[in-house]
Amino acid sequence: MRYSMRWLAGVVLLVGAPLGAQDARLEQRLDAATAARVGAIVDSARAAGLPTRPLTSKALEGASKGAPGARIIAAVSRLAQGLRSARDVLGPSTDAELDAAASALMLGVRAEEVAAVRGARSGERLTVPLAVLADLVAYGVPSDAATQAVVQLAGRSEDEALLDFRRDVERDIALGAPPAAAAAVRLNSAGRLESDLTTQQIGIPPPKPRKP
Amino acid sequence: MSDDELIERAAEELRRPVRMDPAVDARVMATVHALPRLGAARGGSGWWAWLTQPLTVRFSPLGALGGAMAVLIAAVVLVPRLTPDDGPGGVAMTTALSEAELIAGSDSTHMVQFVFVAPTAHSVSLVGDFNNWEMDATPLSAGPSRSVWTVRLPLANGRHRYAFVVDDSTWAADPSAPPAAGDDFGVPSSVITVAERSS
Repeated sequence: MRYSMRWLAGVVLLVGAPLGAQDARLEQRLDAATAARVGAIVDSARAAGLPTRPLTSKALEGASKGAPGARIIAAVSRLAQGLRSARDVLGPSTDAELDAAASALMLGVRAEEVAAVRGARSGERLTVPLAVLADLVAYGVPSDAATQAVVQLAGRSEDEALLDFRRDVERDIALGAPPAAAAAVRLNSAGRLESDLTTQQIGIPPPKPRKP
Repeated sequence: MSDDELIERAAEELRRPVRMDPAVDARVMATVHALPRLGAARGGSGWWAWLTQPLTVRFSPLGALGGAMAVLIAAVVLVPRLTPDDGPGGVAMTTALSEAELIAGSDSTHMVQFVFVAPTAHSVSLVGDFNNWEMDATPLSAGPSRSVWTVRLPLANGRHRYAFVVDDSTWAADPSAPPAAGDDFGVPSSVITVAERSS
């Protein structure tokens, strides 16, 4: 009996340790009522199999920025809903993929657009394509144009190419290009470059320049 | 005398070997040996005298060109290894001076450099989900000009939200990084994506 109680206490400590640590972190930085509400949202997300780290982080961000409790609770709740929607669209996914998809959805990307990205890279990592999608929309690229670009690039390019694309679009926008035009021009440029590379790789000589 | 003949005579004179006294070499060398040695004059000797002795290095223009090429090649090969760069197995969003830059890393974490330009700041801190948004957890160090503030830290793969805090009071997003989704608290943040390199 004595060993059973010790074993039970050990199990409780092991299982409760992460939860306790998380609660302690929230309790230290939030008022009691806000910590309790946020803790309930986190527990609900955990029970649903959603990542909880982004939720806790959102609450801590609000605390550091001096936001009132109600605003923190609303933000954490909104993010939990975003994660839930992301999981509904993507199905089984990594925490990073769900986080990136939730960001995109919360920025106004439609569920079918996120699903299109999933379709472009079936069975492969989606974190970067979804992150680039979210970033493009955050920069002002319309979600349909951003989705079209990401789907085209994600299907045929590595993550690095996607990141380069995002960087180029960001630079063009910073220089004054309209976001949609920047994305379209860069996508066209990426397609042309790939076409040129393919032509060279298969040994077809490039067309001769025509006289004006 | 024509010009050609004049030139030919001048050239013939110049081609003629100069006859020197056979003892001149011996006299020059005797004079050199008689001079005090530089290291001995400074009170040193041996390797120290060799190290401190001025040397005259001569090289041809072709040699100089070759040396310059070697330096250039070394710079091309080595500099990317010394500057912020995609590390093994990872990529990150990097562009301008004030954006976080990936330096190196393992498969799951990467060293990332954050840079922020704040010429009038007394202190700059990095806060984000990687340090629980604690304002005193990750201070940036000022460069010699006190304008450019930097810090390096390992980040796991994924998407990280962050911001800078200037003088413990003013929040600032990274001006050249994507804005984080949802400005929930009226203070914008930025986002960096650290991802594995596709195989």
